[in-house]
Amino acid sequence: MSIAMSNPSTATTNTATATPTLPKEDDLYPLALLMDELKHDDIANRVEAMKKVDTIAIALGPERTRDELIPFLTEVAQDDEDEVFAVLAEKLGSFVPYVGGPKYATVLLPPLEILSATEETIVRDKAVDSLNSIAQELSEEQIFHDFVPLIEHLATTEWFSSKVSACGLFKSVIVRVKDDKFRKVLLQLFYNLVLDDTPMVRRAAAKNLPTLIDLLTQNIRLSTEDDWEFISNMFQKIVTDNQDSVKFLAVDVLISILKFFNTKKDYTHLPDLLHSAIQLITDEAWRVRYMAADRFIQLATEFVEQPQLLQQFSQPFLSLCEDNESDVRKAIAKQVPGYSKLISKSDKTIVLEKIFPAIQTLSMDENETVRTSLASEITNMAELLSKQECIDHLIPILLNMLKDECPDVTLNIISNLEVVNNVVGIDILSENLLPAITDLAIDVNWRVRMAIIKNIPLLAKQLSVQFFQERLSNLCLSWLWDSVYSIRDAAVENLTKLTEIFGSDWARDEIISRLLKSKSQLLENFVYRITLLHALTGLVPVVDYEVVIDKILPFVNHLSQDPVPNIRFNVAKSYAMIVERLDKDKYKDLIDNTIIPKLQELTEDQDPDVKFFADKSLKKVKKLME
Amino acid sequence: MDVDSDIPMHDAIESQQQQSSSSYNKESNPPENNKHVSSSSPITNSSPSSDIISNSIKDTVNTSTTHDNTQSNNNNTTSSSSSNINQLEEWIEHLSKCQILSEDDVSRLCKMAVDVLQYEQNVQPVNVPVTICGDVHGQFHDLMELFQIGGPCPDTNYLFMGDYVDRGYYSVETVSFLVCMKVRYPNRITILRGNHESRQITQVYGFYDECLRKYGSANVWKMFTDLFDYFPITALVDNKIFCLHGGLSPMIETIDQVRELNRVQEVPHEGPMCDLLWSDPDDRGGWGISPRGAGFTFGQDISEQFNHTNDLNLIARAHQLVIEGYAWSHQSVVTIFSAPNYCYRCGNQAAIMEVDENLNRQFLQYDPAVRPGEPTVSRKTPDYFL
Ligand SMILES: [Mn+2]
Repeated sequence: MSIAMSNPSTATTNTATATPTLPKEDDLYPLALLMDELKHDDIANRVEAMKKVDTIAIALGPERTRDELIPFLTEVAQDDEDEVFAVLAEKLGSFVPYVGGPKYATVLLPPLEILSATEETIVRDKAVDSLNSIAQELSEEQIFHDFVPLIEHLATTEWFSSKVSACGLFKSVIVRVKDDKFRKVLLQLFYNLVLDDTPMVRRAAAKNLPTLIDLLTQNIRLSTEDDWEFISNMFQKIVTDNQDSVKFLAVDVLISILKFFNTKKDYTHLPDLLHSAIQLITDEAWRVRYMAADRFIQLATEFVEQPQLLQQFSQPFLSLCEDNESDVRKAIAKQVPGYSKLISKSDKTIVLEKIFPAIQTLSMDENETVRTSLASEITNMAELLSKQECIDHLIPILLNMLKDECPDVTLNIISNLEVVNNVVGIDILSENLLPAITDLAIDVNWRVRMAIIKNIPLLAKQLSVQFFQERLSNLCLSWLWDSVYSIRDAAVENLTKLTEIFGSDWARDEIISRLLKSKSQLLENFVYRITLLHALTGLVPVVDYEVVIDKILPFVNHLSQDPVPNIRFNVAKSYAMIVERLDKDKYKDLIDNTIIPKLQELTEDQDPDVKFFADKSLKKVKKLME
Repeated sequence: MDVDSDIPMHDAIESQQQQSSSSYNKESNPPENNKHVSSSSPITNSSPSSDIISNSIKDTVNTSTTHDNTQSNNNNTTSSSSSNINQLEEWIEHLSKCQILSEDDVSRLCKMAVDVLQYEQNVQPVNVPVTICGDVHGQFHDLMELFQIGGPCPDTNYLFMGDYVDRGYYSVETVSFLVCMKVRYPNRITILRGNHESRQITQVYGFYDECLRKYGSANVWKMFTDLFDYFPITALVDNKIFCLHGGLSPMIETIDQVRELNRVQEVPHEGPMCDLLWSDPDDRGGWGISPRGAGFTFGQDISEQFNHTNDLNLIARAHQLVIEGYAWSHQSVVTIFSAPNYCYRCGNQAAIMEVDENLNRQFLQYDPAVRPGEPTVSRKTPDYFL
């Protein structure tokens, strides 16, 4: 092996100049040793060595990389383990600069062709990715002379693994071939893969076909009638495949075909394609129906210009909502508002008369994943309805779903209430939903409680202060004493937001003074003291100076002597926030004579964390006072 | 349940079948002064009564720390340089996104950690308030959930009782994170050694393989297992709660005897240090042979005698899967297990135990974290794309 004997001193000089960013050890990494590593018994060593193969390439320079390293790697690609292959396959994808640029890039094809034929999927996928990225840099000439023949080799071997790889490479060439005859040859080749005996190859072909069609859509004038003859035949083959796992890929193919013709504004095929769509939606194999349900809006959207065709989707849509298979119902449940939006433009009665009963049934589905799925989207129905329709049709369903035994259902509804609020207004929403919400505010699942807290400011913004006081303020304070930290933390943030809405006086009278009267027994526990400290500190930026000085600062001062260090270093943090808030001129005396001495005291604390945070705050305060 | 049967490697195969399910549902009557408040029921606020500033804190707080001979666990007062602190905070931020440190950074971290841990004691004194946690086993996202429930460190003080690695998919991230926190806040977090913090066990139960997979070599595994030798083996909370991973040893009658051990070594196959990390409480009295092949089982008579001799209230330990996340054995031994849905399939809850300044205890139970990328909506999406 000539590389192994290369002079290490030249190599290191090259490395040093070419890759100044590498760690020092690598600078001096002897090339010969690295080549030895690639022959090491332990696979981990070989993987490590292969990861540094670009360092070798840089050290060798383009010419020796082409003449010595690539042939060596081609040998490695035939005789090692999958782990090493995977690294090699990935590395070669970025090798174009190391072999001297695009002009020489084709020398990288032989080792990657070998790797594309490996049985291990990970290796193959990486090799295909690398080939596709190299193809970007090749000239027309190189594509024609080197890359297409490579695809032909792979597509016509006996090995399914090579053929599967071939399917992934057409996208690099299909629109770069300007010669119609030549493109026809490529499509014929791809057609043979669609017809292959092995389902794995057919699946790979069907999976790649939408990408090819999308490329033709982007180059709308390129393809010919003949090309579409092929594509149409391919679609027919896939849609009638005896394997469900191939057949269900026809849904994506169909979507791509529809996009092509719609882009071309050629609507002559739409009735036929509608027929195919409905066939897929009503297929007897549930996997196929699942796929159609999952892509339902995408399919239907392509018919939006033709209302009389679009309307033919409604009956199949309703059957999917009643499908025997819960996975199908789960998929279609997510599409309900999207489809309703499409259809309501031409046929609003069906939404109220047919789709709402279907929603009602789905909202009580025996399977909780179906209900959860529906809950994630259902509130968007509000946008399609008038206020009264919302109250009559949607609100009752939402109310029931809020009481669902599955917390994810409830959570999804609560987190998406804003859109309903926009339509019906807060009065209706709170009147109907508030009882359910206050029940959920003490739900056993803390994430449900969290979802409620997060929505409180939204409610508050639209409620009168009085209404809020009566119905929600106790709840907001009680969350501060929750046993789960995240709820206490959210409760603190909530009080800050409420103060932004209701103002400083409200916070002083309704929050701060009530908090400062907390039971002393409660405050024997450090958790409550630190929460109170956080709550009051959280209010500092949003209340008036006087409230900070008269109410909050005395409490903070008091806690500066707390026996628990965690409280004391939080006091240190609070001081910095207070100074940040105050008018530095007006309160200069107070800051100089009270806060700074307190902080200085804390910098002398026995506990290193208290010292640390006190030092940090003191620096910050002094900077603020400059 | 075979997932609970961690056993020393030399016995791995033969004892695998002997594992009984006796390890959970040990719940017996808890001591009276315990408030059982689960995380699921928020404490409701009662009406305000007295003014805080005038008659609150000084006279009510923390009578329990008056006998403070243990207040000096500040061997670590020599604060790290500010560049170290910045470095650590950078690592912590990186790790909290579940991203691993580079091999070089792990090497630097472990050197810093030795400087902290070697000065800790075999029986590390710990102050109240503190939150005591059990096995984590590489379930990184559930560890983050633990901090969501108990509060972030350093605001909350933590005591972890071992078994950070193996079984879960993120042992590297988990142990790196906890060690980083330990070095950054040595006075706020205590990390004890579990039986999985061992060279032998980690080669069988996943940590070794994970290091190999994530770093391409065993270097990081070696750094961490070398560091594990320095971890303290027990802790004593406010002189009243004895905390350790496994349980008692027939060779240890007093806590002072633990102080005399030389702990800086691989976990031995037998002897007192091995027992502390391997033993389990049992319904039968006296000492029994452990089905694990290491350590012993010990009965209520043994734990009562030990607590009496050493003037303890409670032994807190981990090491066994318990369905509710915590379970009482005897009158004064509690098992705490902090890996919810252990091994991603046991269906158990996890728990932590908050101990306040007056040694009141509160258990917080929690469920598995919502995993990133997994929508709250679907629990399982069928894999059609094979
Ligand atoms: Mn254990």
